[in-house]
Amino acid sequence: MSLAYGLSNLYPVPWNPALQKILIANRGEIALRIVRACRELDIASVAVYSDADRAALHVLEADEAYHLGPAPAVESYLRADLILDVAHRAGVHAIHPGYGFLSENADFAEACEKAGITFIGPPSTAMRALGSKTSARQAADEAGMPRTPGCVHGLASPEEAHDVALSVGYPVMLKAAAGGGGKGMRAVYRPEDLEAAFATASSEAERAFGSGEVYLEKLIERPRHIEIQILADGHGHCVYLGERECSVQRRHQKVIEEAPSAVVDEDLRRRMGEAAVRLALSAGYTNAGTIEFLLDEDRNFYFLEMNTRLQVEHPVTELITGVDLVHLQIRIAQGEPLPFIQSDLQLRGHAIECRVYAEDPENAFMPSPGRITRLLQPGGPGIREDSGIYEGWVVPMDYDPMLSKLIAYAPTRETAIARLLRALDEYVIGGIRSNLGLFRRILRDPEFRAARIDTGYLDRLLAQPNSRPSEDGSEPLFVAPAMAAAAVLEVSKPAAGATIAGAVSSASVWKSAARREATGGAS
Amino acid sequence: MKLQLAIEGRMRQVDIEPSANGHWRLRLDGEPVVADACLLRPGVLSLLIAGQSWRVVLDGHPSDTVLHVGPERIAYRVEDPRSLRQRRRAAGGEGRVTLKASMPGRVVRLLIEEGDPVTAHQRVLVIEAMKMQNELKSPKEGRVTHIRVSPGDTVASGDTLAIIE
Repeated sequence: MSLAYGLSNLYPVPWNPALQKILIANRGEIALRIVRACRELDIASVAVYSDADRAALHVLEADEAYHLGPAPAVESYLRADLILDVAHRAGVHAIHPGYGFLSENADFAEACEKAGITFIGPPSTAMRALGSKTSARQAADEAGMPRTPGCVHGLASPEEAHDVALSVGYPVMLKAAAGGGGKGMRAVYRPEDLEAAFATASSEAERAFGSGEVYLEKLIERPRHIEIQILADGHGHCVYLGERECSVQRRHQKVIEEAPSAVVDEDLRRRMGEAAVRLALSAGYTNAGTIEFLLDEDRNFYFLEMNTRLQVEHPVTELITGVDLVHLQIRIAQGEPLPFIQSDLQLRGHAIECRVYAEDPENAFMPSPGRITRLLQPGGPGIREDSGIYEGWVVPMDYDPMLSKLIAYAPTRETAIARLLRALDEYVIGGIRSNLGLFRRILRDPEFRAARIDTGYLDRLLAQPNSRPSEDGSEPLFVAPAMAAAAVLEVSKPAAGATIAGAVSSASVWKSAARREATGGAS
Repeated sequence: MKLQLAIEGRMRQVDIEPSANGHWRLRLDGEPVVADACLLRPGVLSLLIAGQSWRVVLDGHPSDTVLHVGPERIAYRVEDPRSLRQRRRAAGGEGRVTLKASMPGRVVRLLIEEGDPVTAHQRVLVIEAMKMQNELKSPKEGRVTHIRVSPGDTVASGDTLAIIE
């Protein structure tokens, strides 16, 4: 049976939403993504916003919107009490947490449960069982899932760390049990470095997560990051929706994600997928989730962690499976069974996603908040852009720098790369810096094109000098048009002293240029 | 009209004469070309040069002058003799260094006070934006004569933070 498209149509129509009103406890592109899904399912959407986000797109597009508090996230988007208060006032039936913020906070999920509001995600018990990396490793053992050699409990002392390191062999990784985003993580290559690394990892974890619990595992050399998307309903059914490869990373943050992976074949996909499903079922997991693995050079896979929420990179899975994950999250949350079984799912084509950030790759990746003065967005065949920005929007300095996700879909990986490069050339973000140029560089790199990537790939690429396309001694192509454009803009200024930006923002400059021309006044 | 343009730091000569209907007669570094310019909307220019089609977008950044020519981001500046003189004067004042914000953000901490002596590379203040902290260091040994910001202040990229003599 092959039903790569229109799987959601297997649900009976007409559709009668039990969850008629949903609050979205998030901001940015993901809040807008969920507002759109609600609109498509005929569900009322409720946005929340901080002082910095009154003019944000998710507020504009939602059916209702309520103010939370000041700009810092700890005073607004992380305030579970304020969000539940809005939920009661607005009379919502469910809360979608998006990703980040409160999405993996089991206390918040439990508070929703107690308040009689459906949390669109797993039950708080499953989040607790899988949320800490050490308890997730224990669950992996119980589910018979391969994991990296090492301990499944927090380390009590540097001596214990030393014993575990000796038993698995160097090099090793120290990791925070409550960790994420690379914080509280240290690679250790020699026994004499272990004690100091243990102390810094533990104190960093304490500062970042409020828990200094650290565990140790064998370091996998040149690993690929491969993750499995799962969906589980409340009736004991669970399926995997193929893998995503997220090996292009900087500082443990994903930069480019794609599906499927160029190195995962049918057999490996089935083995990883079945292991992921076993883990989810054993923990009583429901809704969408992602099990992350490392894949070594011999294509052995090791359980890394589980993300108990919707992922940033979920669109690449949607494109190759034809499934709308947010629609399904909502339908699972209101108690419906999955509308398909594993054998109904078939992967088709290839999808690649770029995380477009307000940061400057040419200046040590400095953040670049501020006003977007100019915005030309790409379109055309096979291009999807999930964004929360518009021309004139001031990107706040208070949150992470993601502006949008640009995703290309095509029958093959090669064509998807070509589409993405084409779309990147169409894309202009003016007024602030962005990492669009970095994606052009990666997508043209022979190593990336050959899919010879691992989690250290991007650091190696960035260590090489970055030459512009035409620095071989010949005149760069852009010089003539840049000169012509600058000259045209300059002579078109209506009056001395006016800025060029001001001049071109008024159509009258062209009239005044024409007037000067007619009277022979140009000099 | 003759113009001196600095494009990506290199000086260029442009001689520009309007002709008919949005066409321009240009000499770019002495080479004659005919360009046809059409403003599609504020800041977005369609340029035809010898049959080649170029999309030029004016960045609109408040302090930098930047053009996006196709996918390339080009810094440019129109030079005139007066502004050159002004810049030379501004650059003067030996031994006096202005510490400027390297990114927009919020001042988190001041690590020095006005009047303090500083060594080269000593940390002076911390700016935060988008969950990233940036420490600014003194470019030279000297004394902090002015501090222009306080903790909690919002600064733009290029704003003067402190003066070290």
